[in-house]
Amino acid sequence: MAIASPQKSMSANGGPSAKSPLRVVASAPGAVQVDNLDHTYNVGGRVTKALEQIKLDIAPGRFVVIVGPSGCGKSSLLMMMTGLVTPTAGSVYCGGLPMTAPDPDRVGVVFQEASLYPWLTAQDNVEFPLSLRGVPKAERAARARDKLALVGLKGFEDRYPHELSGGMKQRVSIARGLVQNPPILMLDEPFAALDEQTRISMGDELLRIWEQTGKTVVFVTHSLTEAAYLADEIIVMSARPGRIIDRIDVDLPRPRTYAMMSTPRFAELRERIWNQIKTQAGS
Amino acid sequence: MANASAKPPAWLGLFDAARGLLVWAGGLAVLFGAWQAVLSFGLMPPELLPPIGDVLATAADLASRPDFQRHVGVTVAEVMVAFVIAVPLGIVLGIAIAESRYWSEVLKPIVFLVFSIPKTIFLPMFILAFGINFAQKVGFGVFSTIFIVLISAFSALDSVKSDHVRVARAYGATPAQIAWRVYLPSMAPVLLEAVRLAMIFNLTGILLAEMYASRAGLGQLIANWGENFMLRELLAGILLIAAAAIVFNETVRWFEAKCEHWRT
Repeated sequence: MAIASPQKSMSANGGPSAKSPLRVVASAPGAVQVDNLDHTYNVGGRVTKALEQIKLDIAPGRFVVIVGPSGCGKSSLLMMMTGLVTPTAGSVYCGGLPMTAPDPDRVGVVFQEASLYPWLTAQDNVEFPLSLRGVPKAERAARARDKLALVGLKGFEDRYPHELSGGMKQRVSIARGLVQNPPILMLDEPFAALDEQTRISMGDELLRIWEQTGKTVVFVTHSLTEAAYLADEIIVMSARPGRIIDRIDVDLPRPRTYAMMSTPRFAELRERIWNQIKTQAGS
Repeated sequence: MANASAKPPAWLGLFDAARGLLVWAGGLAVLFGAWQAVLSFGLMPPELLPPIGDVLATAADLASRPDFQRHVGVTVAEVMVAFVIAVPLGIVLGIAIAESRYWSEVLKPIVFLVFSIPKTIFLPMFILAFGINFAQKVGFGVFSTIFIVLISAFSALDSVKSDHVRVARAYGATPAQIAWRVYLPSMAPVLLEAVRLAMIFNLTGILLAEMYASRAGLGQLIANWGENFMLRELLAGILLIAAAAIVFNETVRWFEAKCEHWRT
């Protein structure tokens, strides 16, 4: 696997002390920057301001969670960060280059519903991004098998999506996001449709994969628990128009454990997010 | 986690196929049994319902006669040409209409309105326009078929999930790749259904056109045998056409079942 070395050393140490410096080197492959991003919808002459003055600076290898009330535009923001949607103003840079169109070499995307192709097996779904660019059959088969093993699905290569559980589908989707080996992985509420037990264990899985691969992860969720459990840094967004109203450095040690959820520090973090969101959520 | 090697064994597929055949054979046995029962209880005179053995013998005899084969050839040619025109044309037109918001609003209601009209009432117009010939049969076949194909194409396009398109875009697919790798497989189950329904409409239209006015073809034979009270030939013809139609329909349905889970 070709991963930049500073991230590798971080995953080796694991602990919070090994985090990348806060000073962002914007041209590093895993760096993500959002620069004065605004977005307005124009539906039938009615202009709605969806996102306002979004600024983000994400260092390589960080796990950043964007949280906010539903309808705050956090998913739209993520879609703009992947290059799938063009913002009205401002720009997004991944690895120092503007994201004007999707680029699977820089950013892997995992969607809300696993969005697997039901006519392809797990293996073929993971190979899909590679086959689009004409990677030779033997190479893409090996790479896809490798990623399926990484997400714990060894032995399930020949299964079709309808033969997999919700959590397994999302694992395949994560493997698909990783198969081109992009330095950045962006996930849009990936576990929202799963039951609570599965959601917690998938969170652990994602942390394990993140620690193993050293990717930069941008993760959108509406779950406070998920945000506090997973993140190095939490970005809290307001209700529409979505603005960033808080940035929280999560100082819980890694590896995170289920037991941490009952610590006072965890409760404080949750409360800090909740206090800001609850005033927004009702409006 | 579940056992990864819990795939159904291959012999189970054979077992299913055998069971399917058994059900078929059972159905046929019941039909032929009822047929013979009607005769032996005297519910129908043998002039109106000849014994099944005679009919099957006639069917075998017919199938070997070059003169009958020529009629079959005419009908098959008409059906194939109409099918090869109507299905691709309907699919391409249907997708083109559904992809454009403007043409959807203008043409979709018209297609649905025309679909509801029985096509048989237009047959005399086809005779006036084309005469009684190959082109008239094919034209009427296409006309009978194309509306169901158009409507199927509309719903085929609806069955393409925007999520699936977005995934392909996120992984850098070109428009052509999106068309072939996402649109086509997404639409395949609905399009297969369209092919199956198209053949039913097509066969109905062309046989009717042949029965109404024709110099050759199975429809013309059926009409003749009926008018001349040749029940053996008539029933043998019915059995042969029914068998051909069922074989086609079941073959397409087999493919449909293969990709049934794509619809999820």
